Amino acid sequence: MRETTHETVIEAQDVSFTYQPKRGATKGAYTAVRGLGLTVRRGELYALLGTNGAGKTTTLEVLEGHRVPTSGRVSVLNGDPCDRRRVRPRMGIMLQDSGLAAELTVRESVALAGAVSGRHDEVDAVLDRVGLTAKKRTRVAQLSGGEKRRVDFAMAVWGTPELVFLDEPTTGLDPASRGALWAVVDDLRASGTTFLLTTHYLEEAEKHADRVGLMHAGALHREGTVADLTANSVTTIRFVPPGAVDDIPVPVSGTENGLAVIRTRTAQRDVTTLMAWAGAHGHELARFSVHESGLDEVFRALGSERTTV
Amino acid sequence: MNAIALAEFRILARNRLVAGCAILFPCAIGAAFFLTRDTHAGGGSVAGVQVVAMAAMGTYVTATTTLATRRQTLYLKRMRGAAIRDRTIIAGLVTPLIAVNLAQIAIVLGILASTGTPANPALLIAAIAIAEAMFTGLALGTAGFTASPEQAQYTTMPIFFTATATAIWVQAPGVDDLTVLKRALPGGASTELIMAAWNGGGLSNLPLLLTPSLMWAALGVLAARAFFRWEPRR
Repeated sequence: MRETTHETVIEAQDVSFTYQPKRGATKGAYTAVRGLGLTVRRGELYALLGTNGAGKTTTLEVLEGHRVPTSGRVSVLNGDPCDRRRVRPRMGIMLQDSGLAAELTVRESVALAGAVSGRHDEVDAVLDRVGLTAKKRTRVAQLSGGEKRRVDFAMAVWGTPELVFLDEPTTGLDPASRGALWAVVDDLRASGTTFLLTTHYLEEAEKHADRVGLMHAGALHREGTVADLTANSVTTIRFVPPGAVDDIPVPVSGTENGLAVIRTRTAQRDVTTLMAWAGAHGHELARFSVHESGLDEVFRALGSERTTV
Repeated sequence: MNAIALAEFRILARNRLVAGCAILFPCAIGAAFFLTRDTHAGGGSVAGVQVVAMAAMGTYVTATTTLATRRQTLYLKRMRGAAIRDRTIIAGLVTPLIAVNLAQIAIVLGILASTGTPANPALLIAAIAIAEAMFTGLALGTAGFTASPEQAQYTTMPIFFTATATAIWVQAPGVDDLTVLKRALPGGASTELIMAAWNGGGLSNLPLLLTPSLMWAALGVLAARAFFRWEPRR
């Protein structure tokens, strides 16, 4: 059973981060995150979504303590994320890029990460949990990209941390491995672990996230539950018109491949009207479908809205 | 630190290129100086050059290359996200290299000792320890300016060649001038100290021989504090 509380686990206030240029570089400083405010509560799974270069990874790295914010304030587990004695042992991190030693085996890599994590666990149990038992004696150099991601994930969940950061955890994983990873996440959530993750798979965020934050150009533009974010989104109704399009009793937005297309924010009322009309006139609405907009359309709207400004 | 050091030993043993640089090369250097030594001179001369040249290659060049490699592969970044201190990470990475280098030096000096034992073994051990500290500090500093293992091939060359050349210069017969310069250059004071420990003699110059090596070590650590990065620049 998933439970979230009002206890704040992550708090970012007006956080900005600017990358300084390399010595002798022609390009100037680049601000990847600007004025970000974010709160994650205990037990929550918060998904940070955004376009490429939106600042998701930099945000995560600031919250993980890998980067010191240029301005603003960050609190993780009521402390400084760089605090290696009090805070670090309570959080697991899955970086976007692996940082694994190619010469070590899977078992040695996970055992090493465990040894420096400040948490206790059994290496074989962790490998079993992420489905890497069969690969435990394989060197990292010989793993596929997806298998390396699973090693990363094993390191992040070692010892069941209170808080786990996952940066694009399912990128490169096949569908079965993605399902297995989410099953582990669900198990950990049942034991109270809080997650902050980034992903490009919107359906994963829709299915698993308690709340979603949408980033673009370094700023958090929208935030809320999936239901909140999609509340006023458009529903699309399609069917083969039984006669003239003008006879249809609700406004038709257009036609696509011989289908009448109705885009509406009052889907229930319009469907009821269509069904009543079809019943009264003996029409069969062939290939009738109703598609509710999800995060993908909210996401696309955000991208186009910002780029046209 | 033990877990990182153990992993580093495994990486060292399994990577032929690194193993060649860290194990074979310093031994070859030590053997070359032994075979071409002046048999009429005291063992201290060749011991000084052997220790400095082997530590320059086995500890300084290898540690710089290792740190640059671990940074480039984001291994350092991963370690830095863990619940351990920065100095523990660094110690875990360089300790195996120093241990391997010390073992090599012990073997090479053991062979040399078969032709005549050192007069002051305790001072010899201290001199080797100081040389290792100096080259470790310099490696940390050089790693701050070294973006990749490929770059390490030339960023390490100035100090490697300076130290080796200075060691040869210090023990060369008939060049007794410029003593201050010899001692000030990296490896110079260490060579003189090892010669004194092996051949015997007064210890009145001890502070003068210890100070430059320790200063080089401190300079390296200060450079590392200022310039060392834990991940590649974006």
